Amino acid sequence: MAEYKLLLEHSDDTAYRTLDGYRKKGGYKALEKAVKMERQAIIDEVKASGLRGRGGAGFPTWIKWNGLPKEKVGKKHYVVCNADEGEPGTFKDKQLMEETPFLLVEGMTIAGFATQGDAGFIYIRGEFIDAAKALRAAIDEAYAAGLLGKNILGSGRDFDLYIHMGAGSYECGEESALMSSLMGERGMPRLKFPHAPLPTISGLWDSPTLINNVETYTCVPFIVNKGGEWYQTLGAATKNSRGTKIFSVSGHVNKPGNYEIEFGTTLNELLEMSGGMKGGKLKACVPGGSSVPIIDAEMCGRAVLGYEEMSDVKSMVGSGGCMFLNEHTCIVSFIWRTAMFYAQESCGKCTPCREGTKWMLQIMERIVAGNGQPGDKELLLEVCSQIDGRSFCGLGDAAAWPVAAAIRVFPEEFDYFIANGKSMVKSSKDLMLVP
Amino acid sequence: MATVAATDTVNIVINDVDLQVPKGELVVEAVKRLGHEIPIFCYHPRMKPVGMCRMCLVEVGFKQPDGSVRKMPKPQAGCTLPVSEGMVIYTDTEMVHRDRKGVLEFLLINHPLDCPVCDRGGECPLQNNTIFYGPSTSRYIDIKRHAPKAFPLSEYVTLDLERCIQCGRCVRFTEEISGDAQLAFRFRGAAMQPSTFKLTDFDSKFSGNVIEICPVGALTSSKYRFRARPWDLETSEGLCLECGNGCNVWLDHRAAKLVRVNGRTNEAINEEWTCDKGKFGHDYYNSSKRLTQPLRREGDRFVPVSWGEAYAEIAAHLGAKSAALVGSTVSNEGLFCLQKLFKDGFGSENIDHRWTRTLPAAGERVAKRHESSIASLEHKKTVLVFGADLANSQPIVHLRVRKGWFLNETRVVVAHSQTTDADSFANLLLSCKPGSLDDLAMGLERAVAEAQKTDVQGFASFKDTEKTTSVKESALREVAAMLLEGNASIVCTASIYNENKPVETLAALAKIAAATGAEFNVYAEGGNDEGAMALGVMTGRNTHEILQDCAMGDLNALWLVGADPLTLHPSRRLAEDALEAVPFLVYQGLLECEAMGYASIVLPMEAPGEHDGTYTNIEGRVQRMQQAVKNPGDGKPAWRVFSELLVRIKPGRPSFSAKEIMDEIAATHPAFAEATYDKLEKEGTPLKPVIENFYM
Repeated sequence: MAEYKLLLEHSDDTAYRTLDGYRKKGGYKALEKAVKMERQAIIDEVKASGLRGRGGAGFPTWIKWNGLPKEKVGKKHYVVCNADEGEPGTFKDKQLMEETPFLLVEGMTIAGFATQGDAGFIYIRGEFIDAAKALRAAIDEAYAAGLLGKNILGSGRDFDLYIHMGAGSYECGEESALMSSLMGERGMPRLKFPHAPLPTISGLWDSPTLINNVETYTCVPFIVNKGGEWYQTLGAATKNSRGTKIFSVSGHVNKPGNYEIEFGTTLNELLEMSGGMKGGKLKACVPGGSSVPIIDAEMCGRAVLGYEEMSDVKSMVGSGGCMFLNEHTCIVSFIWRTAMFYAQESCGKCTPCREGTKWMLQIMERIVAGNGQPGDKELLLEVCSQIDGRSFCGLGDAAAWPVAAAIRVFPEEFDYFIANGKSMVKSSKDLMLVP
Repeated sequence: MATVAATDTVNIVINDVDLQVPKGELVVEAVKRLGHEIPIFCYHPRMKPVGMCRMCLVEVGFKQPDGSVRKMPKPQAGCTLPVSEGMVIYTDTEMVHRDRKGVLEFLLINHPLDCPVCDRGGECPLQNNTIFYGPSTSRYIDIKRHAPKAFPLSEYVTLDLERCIQCGRCVRFTEEISGDAQLAFRFRGAAMQPSTFKLTDFDSKFSGNVIEICPVGALTSSKYRFRARPWDLETSEGLCLECGNGCNVWLDHRAAKLVRVNGRTNEAINEEWTCDKGKFGHDYYNSSKRLTQPLRREGDRFVPVSWGEAYAEIAAHLGAKSAALVGSTVSNEGLFCLQKLFKDGFGSENIDHRWTRTLPAAGERVAKRHESSIASLEHKKTVLVFGADLANSQPIVHLRVRKGWFLNETRVVVAHSQTTDADSFANLLLSCKPGSLDDLAMGLERAVAEAQKTDVQGFASFKDTEKTTSVKESALREVAAMLLEGNASIVCTASIYNENKPVETLAALAKIAAATGAEFNVYAEGGNDEGAMALGVMTGRNTHEILQDCAMGDLNALWLVGADPLTLHPSRRLAEDALEAVPFLVYQGLLECEAMGYASIVLPMEAPGEHDGTYTNIEGRVQRMQQAVKNPGDGKPAWRVFSELLVRIKPGRPSFSAKEIMDEIAATHPAFAEATYDKLEKEGTPLKPVIENFYM
């Protein structure tokens, strides 16, 4: 299958970033439609579309939307957009916010209508200054045109939208940590269901809160406009993945960048779109952002991009940060760099992640420094198993998966490095990703 | 009703044992019902669970309709998981043991394992859990995290960062319990560390508690560091007499010397906390200034004398024209014997223990002193703190009031002319001009009267009240409305007697309480002040009159019992004149002090923990403290001195033990009827409310 441009259709058109240009291409038709719809009808439309969270977990979006109280009980409802795109290898939200900001604004406004949201917050990664500027301009325009604020489109309903810049923490992309950070607390994850109520019941300031990824919200105008029935025809070849997904292709490819595809496209097709491999044959691929398990070339050959389909190759769609690595890449060094990232980004709250990520890094460090000890590979696997599923939030799991998967898929590279003190890949010295 | 109970409990299974537990109880608490234990570090029953350390991971499943159990894929933190219907909990499976081992291995990789030189060694949760659940060896061969070994967070708390396991107990304590938010985590990941803001002083009135709740030896007491190993310590149940709250403490002593004070759980009073005064303010026990033997003035120096010589001297000089002034740490028994000595031995009634600026004339009555127990304050709907700086004068009451505010939505109103720690969380602050508390009370009385539509004639107008106090009419009306909603408590302390027109203020507050149905409290301040009031240690001339009489030469002798008028009395000049003029001064005390310089006879006194005795706290709870440590010299408990002296003057049967005296008190004072040593309860026995009115 070829590229399917839905969200990114007008991304090259600079006029699309202004309200006029956006409206000319059919923008805000969805909101005009939505204000006339029953709240539940919007949610039902999202349900029919089969839209799943694009942040990485793939949780059915409508369940979140449906989870907020139908009648307000004295508390405000909040709509939060997770734009703290920090997963290494992923840069789709950045482009969406910079080039199609109105899609996000419109999508969040519709979400606000569907869930009786009083205010929306876009939590943007601190480094995304251009994205924040683009959104600021879009929000200002929307306010001026009566598309945000009081009595939107004469519906009698209000919705305010705020931008909040993060301060540089990967952990704040975790939804509960994001909410802590948004409330001015230290960016640490909070208790989650069943240990605490769901955010849809008690989230931001203990109020019902809807939180979705940027890409998820940008899908909403299309779903409302063209109907959930239409949307769910996209990706119908897959088991349970509907619509389009933007993959951020990077690594040793000729044309790195964001590629929007229909679910069901194969990984090979994605590689072709991005111009094929550069500098050597395909060796491995991290298909969904640095935290998902790495797969080798053989697996790449049969990988189909879909939430369930990817588990056939023991990996995940994740956030869509697809990194292709050529034959000159030293997997051990690659994993060392990944481990360094997670050791730096662990918030420190829980023991397994705080101590385990650092220990893994120390082991990886001594291996790449040529001081690997016999048994280090097994020790790494042990440490991974002591983190995986034991940590407070997903960061621990995300730190353990790539290491465990790399050892599973490329055990010989680890054995060679530990035994010989140098990489199995001859030219890896040049390509080693030095921090 | 059975049906109600069924909805309030859930059926769960713990390690194959069926159990009914209250709905919403945490797994870590539920397993205790079976006598099982889930190891913990970060969890503390008095603080909100966070699930940080992951030590409490257990396997959890749910019963399916077909009777099978579906386990959750990941292990769950028992400290944060509330039980629900059909939950099946496993605390003893292979996976659980493996997870515990894993967490302990992680915690130990960066822990210095300097147990042999660690204060906590021997009473350390990390040691204990490692021995029970941990790996026997470490697979860690890299370089451990290093940090300064002894970083002084404050004068009292020293932080050893290397030992810290980042459980966050200390941070949460300052956020949730003490409320001063002095500690927070800084940095992240493996570098995360508890710290004060910008490493400024750990400025808290409750900092000592974090030392006790620290599950490792990271937060240590600067005063106790390296003073003893836990297994060398003997411990005794003690009481703190730094203020009148009557906190229960452990007195840890080594070789008969007090080295450490820790909080002892008493749910009725201090739960398990102490304030820093109580925890660190025990230097005097081992002070080099302790008086160790009776002294007699000879010219310009003191010479040691025997107790017998001292008694003879005192007996020769004290008579009807003598008086005694008492401090706040004398036991009920001591006070009773003093009364007896003066009345029966010297024929004088001039005894007083009050040191405030205004001493209401005998006959002025304040009906209510402690209607609210300390524990009940956390369940009040409204607490009006009137003219009291609780965090300073009654720290544990302050914690209770804050607990109510933090957990039970108690509305706290603070009315004071000074800033207090409670201002930070008060729902409403009545900040009045200095010296205008009386006007404020009367303004409040008017607001209550208006709300109840009763006669307001004779009251100052709200406008005038605002002029004198700067408190607005709307605020007064709001407080009145809050009080009228019921379940309220008005809290004052004896410090109100240092303000303008205390009698009128208290009368107005009493009327407000009566009109709104609020409970009214005027808590005593000193250690056993409440006991002194209950025993009526304020007969004859009062403190001011006694000092004036001394200064005028109307009294021949003055006995200071653990009290130094130069520091206690509001007028130092009067105190100086009195001590200068009085012909014969007996100073009985713990330490050398300025007043001692005027004394003719000096008697060493035993500190409270050095003898048996009972003390009455602010809520009228009589508690007993047994002897914990030995007196360093030849000191005697106050009661014994009075009793022995009385026998010399008026031969009879002396009292041999504190128990005997308490029986006598119980027989003569109806309020103490239930407070004999045989009947005293573990948490202390409240005074019987038989006497309604006391002279303040």
